[in-house]
Amino acid sequence: MSALSIAVQLAGGIVLAPLLPGLIQHWKARLQGRRGPTPLQPYRELRRLWGKSSVEVEGTGIVYRLAPSVTAASLVLAILLVPVAAHAPALGVGRDVLALLGVLALGRFAVASASWDTGSGFALMGASRDLTIAVFTDATFVLAVAVAALVAHTTNLASMIAGTAGTAVWSNPALGLAAAAFALVVVAETGRQPVDNPDTHLELTMIHEGPLLEYAGRDLAFLQWSAAARHWIVLVLAAQIFLPHATSVWAQLAVLPFALAVLCGGLALVETTNAKMRILLAPRLLAVGAAAALLGIVSWLVQVS
Amino acid sequence: MSRSPLNDYRTRIAAALEGGSRFGGLHASGGTVRTALVAPSGAIQFESAPVVDGRVTSIVDLAPAANWDEREAFDSYGVRFDGHEPLRPLVDHDLDLVSWTVPVRGPDAYQVAVGPIHAGVIESGHFRFHVVGDLILHLDARLFYKHRGLERAAEGHTLAEGLAYAGRACAACAVTNTVAYAQACEQVLALHPTAEVARARTILLELERLWNHLNDIAAVCAGVGLAAGNMRFAALTERARQLNAQLTGHRFLFGSVEVGGNRVAFDATAARAELAEIRAESESAWRELLFNASFSDRLPDIGVVSLEDAVTFGAVGPAARASGLAEDARATSNLLAYDGFTAIVPHRAAGDVQARLEQHALEVQQTFDLLASLLDAPVVAASCEPAGNGRAIGAARVESPRGATLCIVESTNGRVDRVRLRTGSYANWPVVAHAAAGCLLPDFPLINKSFELCYACADR
Repeated sequence: MSALSIAVQLAGGIVLAPLLPGLIQHWKARLQGRRGPTPLQPYRELRRLWGKSSVEVEGTGIVYRLAPSVTAASLVLAILLVPVAAHAPALGVGRDVLALLGVLALGRFAVASASWDTGSGFALMGASRDLTIAVFTDATFVLAVAVAALVAHTTNLASMIAGTAGTAVWSNPALGLAAAAFALVVVAETGRQPVDNPDTHLELTMIHEGPLLEYAGRDLAFLQWSAAARHWIVLVLAAQIFLPHATSVWAQLAVLPFALAVLCGGLALVETTNAKMRILLAPRLLAVGAAAALLGIVSWLVQVS
Repeated sequence: MSRSPLNDYRTRIAAALEGGSRFGGLHASGGTVRTALVAPSGAIQFESAPVVDGRVTSIVDLAPAANWDEREAFDSYGVRFDGHEPLRPLVDHDLDLVSWTVPVRGPDAYQVAVGPIHAGVIESGHFRFHVVGDLILHLDARLFYKHRGLERAAEGHTLAEGLAYAGRACAACAVTNTVAYAQACEQVLALHPTAEVARARTILLELERLWNHLNDIAAVCAGVGLAAGNMRFAALTERARQLNAQLTGHRFLFGSVEVGGNRVAFDATAARAELAEIRAESESAWRELLFNASFSDRLPDIGVVSLEDAVTFGAVGPAARASGLAEDARATSNLLAYDGFTAIVPHRAAGDVQARLEQHALEVQQTFDLLASLLDAPVVAASCEPAGNGRAIGAARVESPRGATLCIVESTNGRVDRVRLRTGSYANWPVVAHAAAGCLLPDFPLINKSFELCYACADR
């Protein structure tokens, strides 16, 4: 059973992750009345990029060259950290949710430093916006998982999945409020509307895409895979902690694909019907999430005491 | 005390501007610089000054809208303008950055260069933003990347042949440009469009406005990443273009205008039915847009052009009307079938992105109304009728989807000596740069799309 859970965790995180943005793209196109690309399009992109040579930007050093591999490596580490079901053994890196936050921040830091290394206007703009919004995203992330950690009495992700399973925990509004906060974290972390627009070709509006403009070939493939892996991580957390889920590990694994599909559908719907918000309002949106999570913490503590 | 002719030139222009005329355009021709002034009645008056030792007095202090015209006249015709300092290059790109950008200095100020090659399929234009963080302090726009020399190429051809050059200046305003050229030529040739010719041209102009305005609304949706609205209006745009193809054989209405008459003929019944469907569909799409709060939140107070600025910078078309300047060349065009037309402005004429979008939506309704009443009978081929005496210079001002386009044709013996096409986009580009200042960088694409000007109109 734990072997299966580890298999899903690794195969899902590393191989199936690009399917998630692919599905969102596919459904977005359908919602707009277009046929759109197949959900497998990200794989085609990765194959195409893998066959191309990377570009070395004049005047850049090791920071720029290492950023794609550091980002991809930090995302692999993050995948190792995030279990897909309760009672999954740790893969030598522990299961701590705060470690996950640090690892995700490392990937972001690598890309931001590479932007600084290139000195390109778009890359720097994107990176600086990304880091600004990340301050608020991370805070909301911490507060949302703090609720789940309170409920489960641990910051071990596997135990958090077990602790938030079943229907009893939903009798308190805490987890619901945390779920609302985490929904905003999902939108911000995956770089989707209304916070960021992954489809845009308008360089001046870019957040996550900006720093990627300086990369090509395998480097870009690494970064695009990393973006997909980020989808996997936050959506798995959303599905297994912040959505109602079964207590049995078998049921958790069986329902996961459907939960992920529903979440992708939700993101596609939000992205189709919402315009991107004014950039200075994005922190405010995340602050609303943080406030909801804080309320969740209060409501749980009040019940316990 | 004797007054030099140069001073006279300035005095006359100052007097005309004082009397309510607006600057229409300025061009160099032979040894002369000609300024066109447009009276409130729509009448075009020329004031000329001879070029002495390659120099003419500048009028840019009287009419700031002449800024681009004078810079272009220097780059293309070598005319220096006394008093226009610094005369920064516009068309000439073979110069260093310092020569064409406005110096912006201060703590933390830096430049962000965008284009001329963009990530999307957009025409070539280079935007140099002087910013602090994400705040735009100043924008220097450099267009004219694909200068084709169309005006020079048209010289020496017959007036009828010259039409092709005006028609290919820009695809989005092909009808406006050719109608303006044809009207200017007809003044030279002493021809007057009959009611039938005027009606056909008006229908073509409004068909052009229809697809352009629908496209511009789609562009604003794309500017804020509202995919649903973008797709809806993009589909309507394409439907309008396909109607154009059915009626005239070309989606962009190319080749539908000719000098001295009208050759396009079609039965209006099918067009009326299709237009009624597009109208119903676009009205429902617009209502849905109004209900989208995330969309309408993005529009107010961005890219503001005050009424005063609109007048100063010579804004035209929907952009000027959105600032409350109720001016429309259609209201004064006696050579077209716009009887009883009055310019409209939005209820909230704040000159921001929201007002410009609203203006586009209002004008789409106006265009549907116009087309419905004009398409009451089949469009038939017709010729202009002789009237009065010919002139050496013909000038016509026609309202394009982006504002009034002025076409000036100077001719001797039926051949083009000089043609100048000053389009609505050309007039409005400096306004875009002005509107961007004080806004945030990520809002610029939206501001730009709320004007949705052509680059090709500059790349003549």
